[in-house]
Amino acid sequence: MGVASTVESIHYHDVIIIGGGLTGLRAALQISNSGLSGALVSKVHPLRSHSVAAQGGMNASLGNVPGDDGASDDWKMHAYDTVKGSDYLADQDAVEKMCREAVATVYELEHMGTVWSRLENGKIAQRPFGGAGFPRTCYAADRTGHNALHTLYEQVLNKNFPFYEEFFVTSLVKDKGRCIGCTAIEIMTGKIHGFISKAVLMATGGFGRIFNRSTNALINTGDGQALALEAGVPLKDMEFVQFHPTTLYGTNILMSEGARGEGGILINSQGKRFMEKYAPNSVDLAPRDVVARSIEQEIREGRGYDGGYVHLDLTHLGSDRIMERLPGIRQIAMDFAGVDPIKEPVPVQPGQHYSMGGIDVDINGSTILPGLYAAGECACISVHGANRLGGNSLLETVIFGRLVADTIIKDINNFQIPDILPVESAVNDVEFKIKEVMGREKGANIFDVKDEMTELMFQKFGIFRNGQTMKKGLNEILKMENKLSELTPNNKDLAVNQTLIQFLELEGMLKIAEVVARGAIKRKESRGSHMRTDHPDRDDKNFLKHTIIGLEDNNLNINYKPVTLGMFEPKERVY
Amino acid sequence: MKIKVYRYHDGMKNPRYDTFELEPKPGLTILGALFQFQQNFDDSIAFHYSCRGAVCGTCAMLINKVPRLACRTQVASLLNGDLKIPLSPYHAIEENIEWDNKEEVLIEPLPHLPVIKDLIVDMGKFFEYYKDIEPVFKPADSTPEKERLMDPDSIPELELYTNCILCAACFGSCPIDDSDPEYLGPAALAKLYRFYIDPREENGIERLKIADIPRGWWDCKFHGNCRRVCPKDVPPLIAIAKAREQLEKEGEDR
Repeated sequence: MGVASTVESIHYHDVIIIGGGLTGLRAALQISNSGLSGALVSKVHPLRSHSVAAQGGMNASLGNVPGDDGASDDWKMHAYDTVKGSDYLADQDAVEKMCREAVATVYELEHMGTVWSRLENGKIAQRPFGGAGFPRTCYAADRTGHNALHTLYEQVLNKNFPFYEEFFVTSLVKDKGRCIGCTAIEIMTGKIHGFISKAVLMATGGFGRIFNRSTNALINTGDGQALALEAGVPLKDMEFVQFHPTTLYGTNILMSEGARGEGGILINSQGKRFMEKYAPNSVDLAPRDVVARSIEQEIREGRGYDGGYVHLDLTHLGSDRIMERLPGIRQIAMDFAGVDPIKEPVPVQPGQHYSMGGIDVDINGSTILPGLYAAGECACISVHGANRLGGNSLLETVIFGRLVADTIIKDINNFQIPDILPVESAVNDVEFKIKEVMGREKGANIFDVKDEMTELMFQKFGIFRNGQTMKKGLNEILKMENKLSELTPNNKDLAVNQTLIQFLELEGMLKIAEVVARGAIKRKESRGSHMRTDHPDRDDKNFLKHTIIGLEDNNLNINYKPVTLGMFEPKERVY
Repeated sequence: MKIKVYRYHDGMKNPRYDTFELEPKPGLTILGALFQFQQNFDDSIAFHYSCRGAVCGTCAMLINKVPRLACRTQVASLLNGDLKIPLSPYHAIEENIEWDNKEEVLIEPLPHLPVIKDLIVDMGKFFEYYKDIEPVFKPADSTPEKERLMDPDSIPELELYTNCILCAACFGSCPIDDSDPEYLGPAALAKLYRFYIDPREENGIERLKIADIPRGWWDCKFHGNCRRVCPKDVPPLIAIAKAREQLEKEGEDR
């Protein structure tokens, strides 16, 4: 320890983990096992993290289920599918690391007590998933994220690891070119706290909620990416946003890819199985970018239902299979759309689902700012490139939660205990800022501006993009950013002021929206999830590279970085 | 239609109820109604939210005197009377507030936990009781190289309990948690039973003994509210009955 503060709301821990989902909890377990002092800071109780909503499963080449010709799976095939799925934008060294570690990671969760679905022989069950050459996706019915999150929460709780629950992080603190902690609002009291640490790990998840149609939890507002950007750490490949093909019409709650993995099919308003036309080999199990575009095209060409959706038909699977393998999505369809998938098809449309881009980190999870690390969806180590395969995100969270914690454990001996003064002064800065925001004259409604932004992002930076509309969109984002200084909550109490929290989220979301927009406008090609009608082809000559956007003197600067190839040469991507 | 919302914050002598009128569009949930309240009526309203898809367990509250997830509860079906759940009576669900249940929805905080502000309760006690039952996997054998095998037929019973999302709707519905604030409650006991029946554990009866105390298995009077309000169909009653049976059998054998 060795750091004492006269301010009661300053805390010291060797490592601060921001975010309590699968990545944050797995890292916490590793830090705890290493004997370092750590703490986890999260704006929600860890069990309310978005990881809990992951349905379909986790990819690992266990080979428990043989492939079509009786062949067995291995990590190289997993890597190949991942790289091809990424439209060759993934860094192949990172992919190799992930796919090699996948098997041990699934076993590790099993050893901690996760209840996986099982085959007749007692081994962990695996199902086919989009873009995968093997039935490789390990699952726990359609509640894989829930089962894994509860397991890791149990493990970390058992270590008496300190949690700061419902603390919203307001800034990262830098001193002498290092990250030495953060500040946070304790939401229930409104008090500002300072955290001093030798290392900070960002594990804050995605930014899906900058789009109005999203499968994401309402809390996925990209706070971590915005904090990093503000601290001078660039973001990578932010224009690559995954739209999941099958989200429930009306609420956009996820209908797992597992539904098609189990044999579900997509049908247009003419009663036709249209995926045969777009992906003759993989059909309904083509990767998500391909299927989402196909559905959108059917709808745009008048073969969707009124309101803009198609049908996901599971009725032929029969009641037993649906009840055993897909009970969660059946419940969701009944609760939120009044449809029982055993009896009738489910209305679905594409919706934002995943952020492939994120905080730029190297293969060890380090950012350019010493002491700051990132892992999971908030980071871009680039295992997903331009399009993530289903079943690879849960995998990424648990693997890199562990591995990046290992990086920290190794690096931390080189870090001195930081000074307290910069953290105290950062706390003052936040207090000052909040006072200023709360003292403003009443302006526009914060929630209306948020609605305007999320609608704009889906319309102008959605599944099909083009230069002209995107440029208009960027201008509108800039106008909204200017409006921020006029917004203020009506509620002036600091304790449990959720409107203030949403205002602070919105500031970051608009910055993230601008980064997405600028990256998308400059990338004049189509690759993976980024589909431009004015540049419909992939352009490896000019764009086989990562977009890197950083903040310098309050301006966003765009640079590019090469992609790490090695195992697989870029080829045309056909399914 | 209207929602009638419980309002309380530090410094208020008594809670008050605010009424807000809105249009019950198809698909509107209680959570959606609360967001409209926040956006258009009073942005100081406090309530928990996260997944909005009935999987994270953060938004349990008392809706028309029944503990439910706000995100899963459709306003229209509530007004039609389709979602009636008869409960064994306890203090918090007494009809002490006037409301017109054809026109209004009454929204109050989850009972048996202290209110922090409006619809947000302090879940500390609930998670303390959860922690009391030692909710962590304790395998019987040393770690194998691959997975431990499990009979697929053992999964359905386990899933009944692993499906729990720890929303505390059961805790807020339990007449025993009303009369005995020390009672561990349905969720913690169901979680304990989940570990007991895990075939990889084989710690046997020792697991159950953690709650072989007055505030554990023996406090339940089988009112059954927990099962009726559970959004995930977890059956704590079955767990409690079976645990008692095992413990009694063991007592006789000794």
